[in-house]
Amino acid sequence: MKFGIFHELATPRPFTAEVETQVVMNALEQVRLADELGFATVWAVEHHFLEGYSHCSAPEVFLTACAMQTKNIRVGHGAVVCVPEMNHPIRVAERAAMLDIVSGGRLEFGTARSSTWTELGGFQADPNATKRDWDEYVRIIPRMWTEERLSYDGGCFSMPERSVLPKPIQKPHPPMWVTVTSAGTELDAAERGLGCLGVATASYQEQERRTQEYHRRIQQSNPTGEVNDCVATLNFMHCHEDLATGAQRGMQFLGMFGLLNSHLLFTREAFPTTAYQSLAGLATPSGPKGGGNPGAQYGVPDGVCIGDPASIVEAVKRWESVGVDQINFLLNACELLPQDQVLDSLRLFAREVMPAFANGGR
Amino acid sequence: MLQGTANISDFERGAPSLADFETEALVLPRASVLQVLYEIDSDDMCALLPPALHPTLPPVVNWSFYRFPDTPWGEVNLAQTRLQCRSGLRPRGLLLNAAIDNEAAGAALASRFGFRSERAEVSLRIGYDEVRGQVEFDGDLVLDLGARDPQPLGATTVQFVSNVHPAQTPAGFRLVQVDFQHVVERAEACQPVLDEFDAEAWGDERIEPSYPISAAYCLADVTLPKLRFVCRPDVMAFEGTEPI
Repeated sequence: MKFGIFHELATPRPFTAEVETQVVMNALEQVRLADELGFATVWAVEHHFLEGYSHCSAPEVFLTACAMQTKNIRVGHGAVVCVPEMNHPIRVAERAAMLDIVSGGRLEFGTARSSTWTELGGFQADPNATKRDWDEYVRIIPRMWTEERLSYDGGCFSMPERSVLPKPIQKPHPPMWVTVTSAGTELDAAERGLGCLGVATASYQEQERRTQEYHRRIQQSNPTGEVNDCVATLNFMHCHEDLATGAQRGMQFLGMFGLLNSHLLFTREAFPTTAYQSLAGLATPSGPKGGGNPGAQYGVPDGVCIGDPASIVEAVKRWESVGVDQINFLLNACELLPQDQVLDSLRLFAREVMPAFANGGR
Repeated sequence: MLQGTANISDFERGAPSLADFETEALVLPRASVLQVLYEIDSDDMCALLPPALHPTLPPVVNWSFYRFPDTPWGEVNLAQTRLQCRSGLRPRGLLLNAAIDNEAAGAALASRFGFRSERAEVSLRIGYDEVRGQVEFDGDLVLDLGARDPQPLGATTVQFVSNVHPAQTPAGFRLVQVDFQHVVERAEACQPVLDEFDAEAWGDERIEPSYPISAAYCLADVTLPKLRFVCRPDVMAFEGTEPI
């Protein structure tokens, strides 16, 4: 089991320069500490127009800053939106390779296709085309990184023979992932040899089913690039010596995250298409079933890493038992928790939780 | 976070009265359904909603037309204008107003489900190249939209959000949640076209459609189930939701 931290850069209103700066500076401080404490990876999402929820529209810039301020932690470009209207495939390959170089070969390269109309509509992208286009990206980008020169005649773009430069440090190329929100995308990951980067919550049982099938299928994959047989999931983390305090603080930012998430207009809700199978409520906790009652109160949901060290160790052990290789943690939302509480939580987690796992969770 | 800021009294004016909460489900088979979504200008997005609700980003207006061939009141043609929004974490459509061509049906929907409507000419013309919905209030065309170039979809692909109806209820003025259920037999995705929308006639002149999102046409059995929840309009749904 390895541990990572995951940044959306959720930002409180009003969106002043001071507030935006503070959110980024706090995130960078968390990254520096996570590096010192032995966390494996810092991930940064790519989102656009998601007011409050995520102001991380240029993750490669943020991750460059992370790389420059740390020594060991890997930088997770998680994930680049592989939609031509947002990111041309050549530019994606170029930027990622440069990030691998400046980080000294610490890049983890995630791919995604965006799940909201807020983003796709903003770039006037066709939701029906995103799966098809993503597939082209994950086939061609490894070739751009590994072939001295190439030409390409494809569906979403074409290019005459050129040398895409620079090439990444890691050989044959940085590990590749795809974000998984809907059930079934883990099979897309397996068949393409990609790591499974979970960004939505699933129950232990559901995760176990997905993980087993993923590991089975990836053995039969024949991808363009190198196989990355790995399952990572997203979780919320707040660790405190006192269970009640940890739960109270953690649920506070988890609730805020869910509310911010609810503002988003998911593609499936607004645009009828078979390309998006679920509403993909990113990382919202599952509440009591069957009522549809928006006033229902949440406790700490099963499997969420909020509480004291013992309760978190227990949750992580269960995730480990169902085949999860890495858990990436959201630490705050809209700066709801003071920075010192977030840093203390990280330190306590490293001191009390990580040693319970092989290699100290590193 | 964002939250509605509208005056509650804006929604009380003309709100129907719900006779009681013991409404039986209403089954409306073999309905033709046209749903069109547009983004709207976001300047007033919070001001359009009561504090119980909050907007989507971007804010969205949702028009839907229904032709019900077989109801207890005969054939009914109905069109509604809703603001897509959130109640707590959940997607909802706040009913601004509806048009209906059957007076008895309108009265029954008002008293049983708090469904506000006005008598109007409502037409839903279904072609192979286009489905078109039109509404006239007192001879004035107040809504004219189309769904062109239909492409087949899976029966479960189109999403419908539950209605929220501002209404006087035995518990006081409330937002009544009505979970329209659609069992879709056939569905098509289309290109949306908006030719006329008189926002003032539908209850709020500030609604400015700005960008097309989608259109879908379906054949479906529609059920208005028993009421389950109402919500106080003046506080967030987490606090103000009341089970029936």
